[in-house]
Amino acid sequence: MTPASAPRRGRGAINRGTHPMWFLAPAFAILLVFFFLPTVFNFVYAFTDWSGFKAQINPVGFDNFEELASSGTLFRALRTTVVYAVLVAVFQNLFGFALAVLLERDTWVNRLARIFFLVPVLMSALAVGYIFQALLKPEGSVNQLIGAVTGHTFDYAWLGDTTWTIVVVAAIHGWKWMGLSMLIYLAGLKTIPEDLMEAARIDGASRWHTFWRIRSPLLAPAVTFNVATALLGSMNGFDIVQATTGGGPARTTEILNIFIYRTFGQGLFAQATTMSLILFLLVALMAFPVIYLLRRRERVL
Amino acid sequence: MNSDAPIWRRLQPFVATVLVVVLIGVPLWLVVVTAGKSQGEALNPDLSLPSDWQLWTNLKSVWSEGDVPAAFFGSLLVVVPTVAGVLTFGSMAAWVLARRTTRLNAALYALAISGIVLPPAVVTVVLLLRQLGLAGTAVGMIGVYMGIYMSTVVFFVTGFVRTIPASLEEAAQIDGAGPFTVFRRVVLPMLRPVLATATILICLYVWNDVFYAFFVVGGRLDTLPLNLFRVASAGLYLNNWHLIFAYVILMSLPLVAVFAVAQRRIIAGITSGAVK
Amino acid sequence: MKRWTSLATAAVLTLGLAACSDPAAETSTDTTATWADPSAKLDGVKLTIWAAQNSNTVPKKVVEGFQAATGATVEVVTIPDPYEQGIQTKVATGDKPDIAFWQPTASMLTAINAKTNLQPLNDAPWLTKLSPDLKDITGILDGTRYAALITSPAVEGVYYNKEVFDANGITATPKSFEEMVTLARTLKGKGVTPFYEMAADRWATQWWVQVQLADAAKDGFWDKVNKGQATFNDPVVLDAIKTYKSLIDEGLFNKNIKTAKFEDQGAALLAGEAAMVVQVNSFFGQLQAKADTATLDKKIGFFPISPSGNVGTFIPDQSNALVAFKTGDAKREAAARQLMAYWMGPGYADFVDDRNTVSLESATPNPPGVPKALLDVHAALPTSVGSMQALAVANPDLYINLADMITGTMSPEQVAKATQDQFAQLAKAAGAPGF
Repeated sequence: MTPASAPRRGRGAINRGTHPMWFLAPAFAILLVFFFLPTVFNFVYAFTDWSGFKAQINPVGFDNFEELASSGTLFRALRTTVVYAVLVAVFQNLFGFALAVLLERDTWVNRLARIFFLVPVLMSALAVGYIFQALLKPEGSVNQLIGAVTGHTFDYAWLGDTTWTIVVVAAIHGWKWMGLSMLIYLAGLKTIPEDLMEAARIDGASRWHTFWRIRSPLLAPAVTFNVATALLGSMNGFDIVQATTGGGPARTTEILNIFIYRTFGQGLFAQATTMSLILFLLVALMAFPVIYLLRRRERVL
Repeated sequence: MNSDAPIWRRLQPFVATVLVVVLIGVPLWLVVVTAGKSQGEALNPDLSLPSDWQLWTNLKSVWSEGDVPAAFFGSLLVVVPTVAGVLTFGSMAAWVLARRTTRLNAALYALAISGIVLPPAVVTVVLLLRQLGLAGTAVGMIGVYMGIYMSTVVFFVTGFVRTIPASLEEAAQIDGAGPFTVFRRVVLPMLRPVLATATILICLYVWNDVFYAFFVVGGRLDTLPLNLFRVASAGLYLNNWHLIFAYVILMSLPLVAVFAVAQRRIIAGITSGAVK
Repeated sequence: MKRWTSLATAAVLTLGLAACSDPAAETSTDTTATWADPSAKLDGVKLTIWAAQNSNTVPKKVVEGFQAATGATVEVVTIPDPYEQGIQTKVATGDKPDIAFWQPTASMLTAINAKTNLQPLNDAPWLTKLSPDLKDITGILDGTRYAALITSPAVEGVYYNKEVFDANGITATPKSFEEMVTLARTLKGKGVTPFYEMAADRWATQWWVQVQLADAAKDGFWDKVNKGQATFNDPVVLDAIKTYKSLIDEGLFNKNIKTAKFEDQGAALLAGEAAMVVQVNSFFGQLQAKADTATLDKKIGFFPISPSGNVGTFIPDQSNALVAFKTGDAKREAAARQLMAYWMGPGYADFVDDRNTVSLESATPNPPGVPKALLDVHAALPTSVGSMQALAVANPDLYINLADMITGTMSPEQVAKATQDQFAQLAKAAGAPGF
C-alpha cells in the first residue's frame, strides 16, 4: 500500500471516466423527490386555502400569514420555538460538558457512568416524555423526593406553569441528549495534546487556569458541532413536548411542530403548511449566522 | 492528566455515582417498578416497589394487545432499507463530490448537505406521496426517511473520502477497473468507520421517529414508536401507566440490547465521526 | 447542465401539480348504492369499525350477530381521545375505516368532508322504519344523508342523584337555571357537593355554557353566528362563560375539579358524593355499565335545564350515529352498507335490548330494561333546541378553552376570543360565506 500522500489532481487522473457524474443520480433523485419537492410545495401551498373540508384548492395570496400574524399565533409560536431551542442548546451543552469534564479520566467507574448516561440517547424521545410526565405530576416522584428532603409536602405542578414549564421541557430534552454531547466533548478533550498541559503546569498555572485558558478554547470545534446541532435540531422537535405537555398549558409550550400536528388534525392543511414554511425559513435564516459565529470563534481561538 | 487535587480524586467517583443514580437511575427505576404494578397501584406512578410483581403479566398483555410483534417488524421493514439505501447512494454521491472538485459539484454539495439542518416539509410530503400513490406504504416511508437522512451521509462520507489517498484508486484504475468496481473494491471498504457512525446515528433517529411516521404511515403500517403513541394516548385516558411503561420497556429493549453488546464500537463510531 | 434542466423540469411539474386539486379528495362517483340483503353471505370480508373510548362497547352485540349471520369479520378499533381530531388526522393521511362513529351534525359532516369521504345513505332500507319525528333530525348535509342515527340523539341536561335530593328535603326539580343555582347553594349549605365536573377530561365543560344559551339558540343566535353577525364575544356567550366560572369560584363544584375525569364523575354521582351533573347521554351509558336498571331508576333522575325553563339542548354525538366511508373497495363499501342495514334491521331489536336504550324504530318497542332517566331524556327531544354542534357551521374547541379557564390559564374573555377566532378560521376553511 502506498503511504498516504497528497492526492494528485492531474487532469487525467480524476475525470468523467473514473468518477462518473451519474453516481450522483440516485442520491439526488431521492433528495429531489422526497426532500426538495415537498419543500418547494411548502412555498406553494402556504398561499392557498387547502383544507380537509373541500377538494378544490384556490390561491389566497398572503391571507394565511396575515391571519396567523394578526391572531398573535405566528409570533407566539416563533417565540416559543426559539426560546425552546436556545434553552435546549444551553442545557444540553452545559450538562454534556459538565459530564465530560467530570467523567474524563478512564476509570471503570467513569466508563460505566458514561454508558449509563447514553441510555436516554437510545430511548425514544416519546418514551422519555411519558416518563417525565409521570415523574413531574403534582403528586409524582420528583415532588415526593423533594418533600422527603425538605420535610414539607411539595406539590408544584412542574408541567402546569404557563411561564416556566417551557424551561422544564427544554431541560428534559437536554437530559435526553446530554449523553451524546458528553461523548463529543470527551472526544474533543482527548484531542488536546498532553505536552500542552504539561507545559502549562510547569509554568505554574493552576488547574482552573489551564482549564479555561487552554483547554476550553481548543474545544471550539466540538462546541460548534454541539451547539449548532442542538440549536437547529431542537427547533424541529416534537416528541418530548407532545408527550409531556402536548403544547400546554394554554399553548405556552406549543413549538412549531406541535402547532403543525394540531392544525393538520383539524383539517386546516393550509395553515399547517404555512407554519411548516415558517419553520423552514426560521431554521434556514438562523443556520447561517449561528454557524458563522461559531466558526469565527473557532478561527480566532 | 491534570494535577487533580487529591480530595477531588477521591470524591469524584462518589459524585459520578450519585449523579448516575439520581439522573438516570430514578427515571429508569420508575419505569421498571410501575411496569410491575397492577393498574390500581400504578394509578399514581411513584418509586415504591409493587406489592406484587406483575411485570411479566403486564409485558405479556402489552405484547398481544399492543400488537408489538407487528410493530417491531414494521419498524424493521422501514429502518433496514432506509439505512441500506441511504448509505449506498449517499456514499456513491459523496465519493464523486469529494473527488471531482468542480464549481458545479461545490454547489451540488451545498445542496446535498442542506438537509442536515433544514427541516423536512412534513405536510406537503403527505400530499406528494398521495399524488405518487405511495401514501401509507412502507416504500413511501422509506423514501421520506432516505430523503431526510441522505444529507447526513453525504456530509460525513465526503469529509472522510478526502482523507483517502487518491493513489489507491488510481492503482486500481490502472489495472483496468471501471468506476463501479473501484468504488466497490477500494473505496467502500475504507469507508467502514464512517459508514458505521452513520449507521448508528440514522438507525437511532429512524427507529425512534414518531413525527414523520405519523404523517406518512399513521396507522396503516405500524412501527414501535407509532404504537407507543397509540398505546400511551389510550393508556393515559384510562390511567394505564403500568401498561404504558411495560410498552416502553419492550420498545427500548432492542436498541439497549444492541448497545450493550456493541457499546465500545458504537461509542468509538460516534466520537470519531463527529469531531471533524 | 443536465442537472439544471432536470431541476427546471421538476419546478415546472410542481407548478403544474399545484394547479390540481388534492388527489385524495376526488369527486364522488354518482352510482346509486345498492343495498344487499342484510344477512347475505360475506365470507372472507373484513370490516373495520372505528369507535371512541366511550363508544367502543356499543357495537358488540351487533357485530357478534352480523359475524354469525354473514361470515364476515368485523374489528372494532378504539381511537383515543380527542376522538374527532384523531379521526380527522387519520383520514387526512389517507387512513380510512369502513364504518366509524361520527357526530351527525352538519358542522362535523363538513369537518370530515362528507361529500368526498362518506357514502351517501339516501335510499337506506331502514329509513322508513324510523319514527317520523326523528328520521330527519340529524345526519344530513346539503340534502344528502351521510350518517345513520342508531340511538336517541343526546340531550344536554342535568342528571341528579335522587337519594341526595330526598335526603336533603328537595321534592321538586328546578324549573330554570336560576332555580338550579339557588338549589345548589342550599345544598352547599347542607354540606353536599352540588355539582361535579371533569375538567381533566375536558369535553363536558362546554355543556354548562351551552345550556345557558338555549334561549338564545331558540331565537336564532347560531344563524347569526354562522353569518358573522354575532360572535362568541357577544354578551350572551361571554356572560354564560363568566357565570360558569363564578359558580366554580363560589365553591359549588367538586374540589378536585381540575384533575377529575369521566370515570370519576360517574362514580361520584352514583355514590351520592355529588348531587348534580350537567352531561349528555354517553355519561348515562357509563352509569349503565356500572349499575343495573333497578339501581339506576332508584338513584338517578334527569331534567333538562335552560335559562327560562326545562328545555333541553340536543347534541347528537358520535355515539349516536354511524358513517360509512368511501374506501375505494366496492366490495367492502357494499359490505359496510350491509352491516348498517343489519344493525338497523334484523339486528336492531337485539341491539337496543343489549344497550338498554330507547328504540328509534316505531316497530321495535323499548326494551323493558330501559332506565327511566333515559326515557326522560328521549322525551325531552321534541321540545329541545339545537346545540352549537348541531346548528353552527363549524365546531370550535370551546371545551378546551373552558378547561384551560378552569385550570386558571385563561380568562373568560380569552375563552370567548379564542373560540371565536377558531370558529372563524374553521368556517373560512369550510367555505362558509361571510368569513
